[in-house]
Amino acid sequence: MADNTGAHGQTGATTDASLENRAKSTKRNSRWWLWAIVAVIAVVAIIIGVNLAKPKSSTNPSVVGSGDNTADTVTIGLKLAPTNLDIRTTAGSALDQILIGNVYEGIVARDEHNQVVPAIAKSWDESKDGLTYTFHLNEHMTFSNGDALTAEDVSWSINQLIKNQYHDADSLSMVKSVTADDGANTVTITLATPNSNLLWTLTGRAGLVFDKDAKYDAKTEAIGSGPYTVAKFVVNDAITLKANPKYWGTHKAKTATVVVKYLADDNAAVNALKSGTVQVLAPITETLAAPFAKDAAHYTVKAGDDTDKYVLAFNSKGKNTADKRVRQAIRYAIDHEELIASRGGSDKALGGPIPSLDPGYEDLTGLYPHDEAKAKALMSEAGYSEAKPLTLTLTYANIYGTELGDQLRSQLAKIGIDLKVNVVEFSTWLQDVYTNKDYDLSLVDHNESHDFYQWADSTYYYNYDNTEVQRLYAQAIAATSDDSRDELLAKAAKLVSEDAPADWLFNYRVTTVWAKGVAGFPVNLNQTLLPLYDVTYAK
Amino acid sequence: MRFVIHRLALFVAALFGVSVVVFAALRILPGDVASVMAGLNSPASRVEALREQLGLNRPLIIQYVDWAGGLLRGDFGTSILTGRSVTSLVAGRAAITFPLIVLGLLIACLIGIPLGVAATLARSSAARAAFHIVGLIGGAIPALWGGLLLILLFSRGTGLIGLFPSQGFPMDGWGAPGEALWSLVLPALSVGIIVGASLMRYTRSSLGDIAASGHIDMAMACGMMRRQAVIRVGLRLATPQLVSVIGLTFAEMITGVMVIENLFALPGIGSGLVTDVGNRDLIAVQSELFMLASFFLAVGLIVDLLHRALDPRLASADIVAEVVA
Repeated sequence: MADNTGAHGQTGATTDASLENRAKSTKRNSRWWLWAIVAVIAVVAIIIGVNLAKPKSSTNPSVVGSGDNTADTVTIGLKLAPTNLDIRTTAGSALDQILIGNVYEGIVARDEHNQVVPAIAKSWDESKDGLTYTFHLNEHMTFSNGDALTAEDVSWSINQLIKNQYHDADSLSMVKSVTADDGANTVTITLATPNSNLLWTLTGRAGLVFDKDAKYDAKTEAIGSGPYTVAKFVVNDAITLKANPKYWGTHKAKTATVVVKYLADDNAAVNALKSGTVQVLAPITETLAAPFAKDAAHYTVKAGDDTDKYVLAFNSKGKNTADKRVRQAIRYAIDHEELIASRGGSDKALGGPIPSLDPGYEDLTGLYPHDEAKAKALMSEAGYSEAKPLTLTLTYANIYGTELGDQLRSQLAKIGIDLKVNVVEFSTWLQDVYTNKDYDLSLVDHNESHDFYQWADSTYYYNYDNTEVQRLYAQAIAATSDDSRDELLAKAAKLVSEDAPADWLFNYRVTTVWAKGVAGFPVNLNQTLLPLYDVTYAK
Repeated sequence: MRFVIHRLALFVAALFGVSVVVFAALRILPGDVASVMAGLNSPASRVEALREQLGLNRPLIIQYVDWAGGLLRGDFGTSILTGRSVTSLVAGRAAITFPLIVLGLLIACLIGIPLGVAATLARSSAARAAFHIVGLIGGAIPALWGGLLLILLFSRGTGLIGLFPSQGFPMDGWGAPGEALWSLVLPALSVGIIVGASLMRYTRSSLGDIAASGHIDMAMACGMMRRQAVIRVGLRLATPQLVSVIGLTFAEMITGVMVIENLFALPGIGSGLVTDVGNRDLIAVQSELFMLASFFLAVGLIVDLLHRALDPRLASADIVAEVVA
């Protein structure tokens, strides 16, 4: 086509030149140029004008800035958006993050060090045998719709969870009964068997209190007793929280409106912070945070402690990974320091299934130090070498990016493993790996806290079945003192790590960045627990 | 008339085909909305209970008839995950994507058509080469890169010249029309430049074809200057072709602008669809794909009909064909 045009253009030009010369003079051309020049000048003038006007308007507020000028709106940028607001039926930590402690409150809560603290219950007693818990509730509590929050609501919420098998109901499987005493303002939970995790479990979804009498569409609305209410929810985009005028407690919202923007694209997120569209970003990758860290006059960058475990699971019943020597070789072959350094260096090495914020933590990084020679020896024992490599497939969800897979492939190539990396959608991972257990290697960020039960459950997708670990875990759960629980858990965790059913690549520490003037934003655990009542922004 | 009826029948048949294909494709895809809802720490029994509750265990035929019956009544169903009607979900997203496309196409026409005409009019080989290079570069810029460049140049906060917001759509949507329009300027520009470049090439080549067939020479022989001949006769003759191109580009852009929407954090149709597919939100994806496909088909239909209205020769060709047959 282009050739055709060109060829024709030439023949056309010759005919046309003679015709046009005869027809009219070419004065018009000069006028055309004049217009172009005028247009360019106009555009330049507008740009200069706007630029002169802009700095003035943006410096004005900071001049006034000496007095009390706390903004009435703070906009924060998060990454994973909830699909709906129904925290009772829909999984995903995005819901815990935005709703627990902000809109809904639990019978108890947890603080930034992952310890249980009072919430709707101001105190509680535990019987010696660990079978009865009595919660003493606060007085004069209300929901955001004005209804009173009573002991009835508390017991109803937990009983509904068990009866309807809502999300996390299985964590309360040992509960025998939940009864309310409105007169004494107490709620009593009796257990069939003792459970040392009960209180912690109740800080999450299992302990949330809903309004028994309210009728609303839980997928699009939320009525709770927390310091904020959901004023607007745009799916996959944003949530607007407004201070709850009927809030009863001590965590009164300091900022009237908090807008949460969900920015799935990292570049978009960084631009949003730079342009002031959002004042906080959590999480941000360390690489993208580096320029902000250098600009300390305008931004603060902090990494928080979290319970995120990047678990590289080896299918313990897989065709090749059933061989313990192969699993051990992989653990020796992985250079954790290199992985952590390439991500920026904030993450912590993790040698076993329990992170430092959880009970039973013990530093297990010494069990499988990076040792290529040992790894190669184990592989040749199992019958493989670089010349005759073992082919394994790593399946993981695309939300974790491709870098980790690439790094693992090059690290494992050195010991004679040809790693095929298969990055899939999360829902595909759920089906193939999680449900059907059809995989060699899998990678997931298990961000849940207190999740050691996964290793004591032989039906979990790890396919890990060790009766000693199961016994120790059962004892730890039945323990009535925290010390003996921690000791038993640590013992079980060590056994798991030794068996090498997985490698714990690192304990991900979430990096958060905020603009100058923001205060009170939680840094620890903020992808699952993000109380916003304390957040303020002084312009 | 026969053509119109034939075309409409084809449209309806295609819609039916689309509904079957979309429904079947989603069942073949691995993954399950119930396990997405249940997440990582639920027992298998909970997934099963959710499947039962959501009606995913019913025979496929019944599920299809349920859904397709709704479509016939104009009911696109309720998204399993978000609990909102698919119509309202799509409407919310379309309120961003469609204005963005219209704005982008407007910019593209403003850039592409004059440049295409200028390229045809250019006489010196240097000027022609320059236009050629502009067309190539404009068409070769990856949307993402072009968008980033525009952000670096013109966005508030990050840009050299802070003029436009670069992130997101106002919370009130079109309730704040000025703000909403303003937030679409940079995305529309990045789309417009790219589409404009291809429109420029289309304009030039179709003007070239028309010139090659002698229409322009004829007009000039009748006393028009070359410029007049190209603009008045050439462009008029090129219009049907350009309308087809613009119409099809419009349809293609609905999902094509997704990269730009992501970059500018605009929750439009494309990114919404990808999220819904990721979550295996069956009803929502089915209805969204169906809507998209019907829109594509409808645009094709309209373009075809418009084409004939603008170019009477096609209709007469039809009559000739009928006579011959």
